[in-house]
Amino acid sequence: MSANAPDGSFQDEALPQMDAVYRFALSLARDPDRAQDLTQETFLRAFRNWDKYTPGTRIKSWLFTICRNHFLQREERTRRHDEIVADAAEEDPNRISREATVFLAARGRDPEGEFWSRIVDGEVLRAIDELPDEFRDVVTLSDLEELPYQEIAEILEVPVGTVKSRLYRGRRRLQHELYDYAVEQGIIGRSTQSSSADAKDPST
Amino acid sequence: MTWTDELRRLLRRRKGQPRNDEPGGISCEEAAERLFEWLDNELDPNMEERVGTHLETCARCYPWLVFEQSFREAVSRAAQHHDVPPELRDRIIASLEEDEGMSSS
Repeated sequence: MSANAPDGSFQDEALPQMDAVYRFALSLARDPDRAQDLTQETFLRAFRNWDKYTPGTRIKSWLFTICRNHFLQREERTRRHDEIVADAAEEDPNRISREATVFLAARGRDPEGEFWSRIVDGEVLRAIDELPDEFRDVVTLSDLEELPYQEIAEILEVPVGTVKSRLYRGRRRLQHELYDYAVEQGIIGRSTQSSSADAKDPST
Repeated sequence: MTWTDELRRLLRRRKGQPRNDEPGGISCEEAAERLFEWLDNELDPNMEERVGTHLETCARCYPWLVFEQSFREAVSRAAQHHDVPPELRDRIIASLEEDEGMSSS
């Protein structure tokens, strides 16, 4: 395309991020068709507003912000958003006790977590897709797109501490989900001591 | 010893009592609290070095580090399957060209 954007760098900076924007759109919309529409609209808006972007800065964050804003305009997620925020705001008093539970549950059979690599990619994506919205957003932006906490906080319009909290909880949920799947499928032997469900509350 | 006893033993609180004989000069609990931030490169250089030294040399924490790294790699690998479909890429390019034509006409 000719795409004579204001400074001519749209092709060099924005278009290479198409895969990343599509992945983020998928995590928001949870539907391939809607994600495609969202991705297309994101690039159209970015193109029209290219003069507001400072070349050489954080292009991925800028595009993600456009994507999310457009999504929120179209989707009514307020109720779910409030529910999850309230949930995430509850600090886990047993944070450290819970933190290692999947590791401890698995280490008798697979201490280095080799079973993670034997879980098919589609199952990993399914488990991510089934995370509650706010956990899925931070896991996607951090683990898939490798953005720093500060940029994630700006995109999602939440404090950095909230990013950390949601990331911690989202990863833990994801691990529990995938560990249970691995046990069910025989990818990892059932421990004599636990399932993930048992491991969720070691105090009981 | 049950695994819950083991968990309590492994994670017993020693906060505020860093010991020089512990790797990196920090306790296992402190290292555990910063494990994700260390993996995410979110710590300042001094803390990053201390936590890294602990995680990579502590006999109890190192297996957990390897476990978490394996998990992270699996998630990252799975993400590569969600590249944008070729037809969408073509459609976006076409829509930008159309928009450009409209704005310049």
